[in-house]
Amino acid sequence: MKTIEINHITKDYGGRRGVFDLSFQVNQGEVLGFLGPNGAGKTTTIRQLMGYIKPDSGSVSILGKDCFAHAAEIQSSLGYLPGEIAFMDSMNGMEFIRFVAKMKRMKDLGRAPELMEQFELDASGKLKKMSKGMKQKIGIVCAFMQDPDILILDEPTSGLDPLMQNRFVDLILSEKKRGKTILMSSHIFEEIEKTCDRAAIIRAGELVAVDSMEKLCSGKRKELQITFAEEQMAAAYVQAFDKAECAAANKRTVVMKVGKELDAAIKQAGNYTVTDMDIHTQSLEDFFLHFYGGDE
Amino acid sequence: MMNLTLYKREWKANWVMLVIFMGVLTMYATMIVSMFDPEMGDSLKVMAESMPEVFAAFGMADVGQTLLEFVTGYLYGILLTAFPAVYIIILANRLVAKYVDNGSMVYLLSGPQKRAQIVRTQAVFMVTSLVVMLVYVMGVIWMTSELLFPKELEMEGFLRVNAGLFGLWILLGGVCFLCSCIWNESKTAIGISSAVVVYSLLVQMISQVGDKFENLKYATPMTLFSVDGLIANESEAWIMCAVMYGAGVLCFVVGVSVFKKKNLPI
Ligand SMILES: Nc1ncnc2c1ncn2[C@@H]1O[C@H](COP(=O)(O)OP(=O)(O)OP(=O)(O)O)[C@@H](O)[C@H]1O
Ligand SMILES: [Mg+2]
Repeated sequence: MKTIEINHITKDYGGRRGVFDLSFQVNQGEVLGFLGPNGAGKTTTIRQLMGYIKPDSGSVSILGKDCFAHAAEIQSSLGYLPGEIAFMDSMNGMEFIRFVAKMKRMKDLGRAPELMEQFELDASGKLKKMSKGMKQKIGIVCAFMQDPDILILDEPTSGLDPLMQNRFVDLILSEKKRGKTILMSSHIFEEIEKTCDRAAIIRAGELVAVDSMEKLCSGKRKELQITFAEEQMAAAYVQAFDKAECAAANKRTVVMKVGKELDAAIKQAGNYTVTDMDIHTQSLEDFFLHFYGGDE
Repeated sequence: MMNLTLYKREWKANWVMLVIFMGVLTMYATMIVSMFDPEMGDSLKVMAESMPEVFAAFGMADVGQTLLEFVTGYLYGILLTAFPAVYIIILANRLVAKYVDNGSMVYLLSGPQKRAQIVRTQAVFMVTSLVVMLVYVMGVIWMTSELLFPKELEMEGFLRVNAGLFGLWILLGGVCFLCSCIWNESKTAIGISSAVVVYSLLVQMISQVGDKFENLKYATPMTLFSVDGLIANESEAWIMCAVMYGAGVLCFVVGVSVFKKKNLPI
C-alpha cells in the first residue's frame, strides 16, 4: 500500500482547465516534489487529496482510505499547508494557533513553540495586519505542530525570504530523516532538488513525468553566457564548441545551453581571456520544454 | 454531534453583533411599551389615523386596546421580524459561506471532525443565538410592561405570540443558512438570502395596504406568522406556526447535507 495514491483522476473545469487522467503515488517515508507552471493543476490535485473536492472520475486515497469519504479520519495523521492561505482575521496569531490545536484535538501546542522559534515568528499581532511571510509562517506552524506522519504542502515557501526558505528546507530534511511522507508543490526547482527523492511534473493538467531527482536533473540545462576580451576569441570558441553561438547584441559574447557538457564548456573557455560570465538556471517552463520536447 | 471549540469561537466572534441588535431592539421595545396609554386612547393611534397606509403596511392598522394587542401590533408586525432578519442574514453568511470564500474553512476542517459536525455546530450556534435574542427581547418587553403597567400584560397570549415569532426566525434562519451552505461566495450567499427576505417583507407590506392586494399574502411566508390568530389561540395559527418550524428545521437539515457533499474551493 502506497501512502498517497492518485489513480487516473480527472477534474474538468472546462476550457482545458483542471486535471486530466492523473496518476502517481507517494511511498511511505518519501518526499515527493510536485512541479508545474501556474495553472497546471497542482492545487486542484491537492484539494482532491484533502477531500475538499471530488474527482469527476478516478480515485484518490491516503493510507488506503478514500480521500473524500474518509477526509475526517485521514486528517488526524495529516498536516496541510494551503496554497492560498487564509485565517480568521479577527484573531491574533497566538489565539489562532491555539484554536487550530484545539480543533486538531491536541492536548497542548505540540511543536508550535519550537517551530515559532525556528522561524523567528512573533505571533502576538492581529492576523489581519500580518505580512505575507508571517502568515505563511503561521501556516507552516499549523501544518507541522501536530507532528503528523504525512504532510501535504502547497507552495510552502511562497512569501518567505531566502533565509527562511533555507530554514524551511532544513525543516523538510529533518522531517524526512524522521520518516515523514511529504508531498510538496513548488515552482522552484532548486528547492525541490534539495529536498525531494522524486518529483512529479505536471503541465496543463497532465502528468509529464514522475521520476527520481537524479534522472530529472540530468535533463536540466543552464544557460551560460561568456564574454571574451576580443571578438576573435568568441568566434574561435564558437568554432571549437558547437553548442555555443554568438550573442546577437555583442560579438564578444557567446551563449549556450549546457547540461552535462558544463565541464567541457568551462575548460574550453579557459583557453581564452574571459571578461565576464553569467549562468542562468532555466525557468521551470524552459526546463519542461527542453526536457519533454516542446508543446506538441 | 457538535464541536465545542468552534461553538465557543463563534460566540467570541459574534457576541458584539448580537449585543448591538439586542440594543436596537431594546430601544424600540421600551419605546413602544411606554407609549401605551390605557386611559386616554393612544397617541400612536392618532398618528395612525393621519397616515393609515403607512401604518397598514407595517401591520399596525387595527391595533387593539389591551397592552398585549398594543405591543404585538406595533412590535411584532415589522420591527421584530425585519431587524432580526438582518441579523440572521449577516450571521448565516459569517457562519459558513465566509469561511469557504476566504479559505479559512481549511482550519475548521483540520481536525478529526466530519464536515457535517462542523456545519451542524454552526447551525446550533445560530439557533442558540436566536434563543438568546428572543429571551432577551421578551424579558425587556415584559419588564417594561410590569414596571409601567403592572399586571396589564396577558402572559399566556404573550408567550404564544413569541412562540410564533421564534418559528418565523427559525424559518428565516433556515433559509439564510441553506443559502450560506449552497454558495461558495459570500457575495452570492448574502445577495440571494437578502433578496428572499426583502421580497418576503415587501410582499407582506403590500398585502396589508388594502383589499386590492390582499391575496398577495399567500405569496409570502411572513403570513405564516399570525399574531392575531396566536393571541386568539386559533388552531389554524398553530398549524401555520408548526409549518414555520418544520420548514425552518428542514432548511437547516438540507443545508448540512448540501455542505457535506459539495466541492469546496479552499
Ligand atoms: N473552482 C474552479 N472553477 C473553475 N476553474 C478552476 C477552479 N479551480 C481551479 N480552476 C482552474 O484550474 C486550473 C488549475 O488551477 P490550479 O489552482 O490547480 O493551478 P496550480 O497548478 O495550483 O497553479 P499555481 O501554480 O498558480 O498555484 C486553472 O486554470 C484554474 O483557473
Ligand atoms: Mg496553486
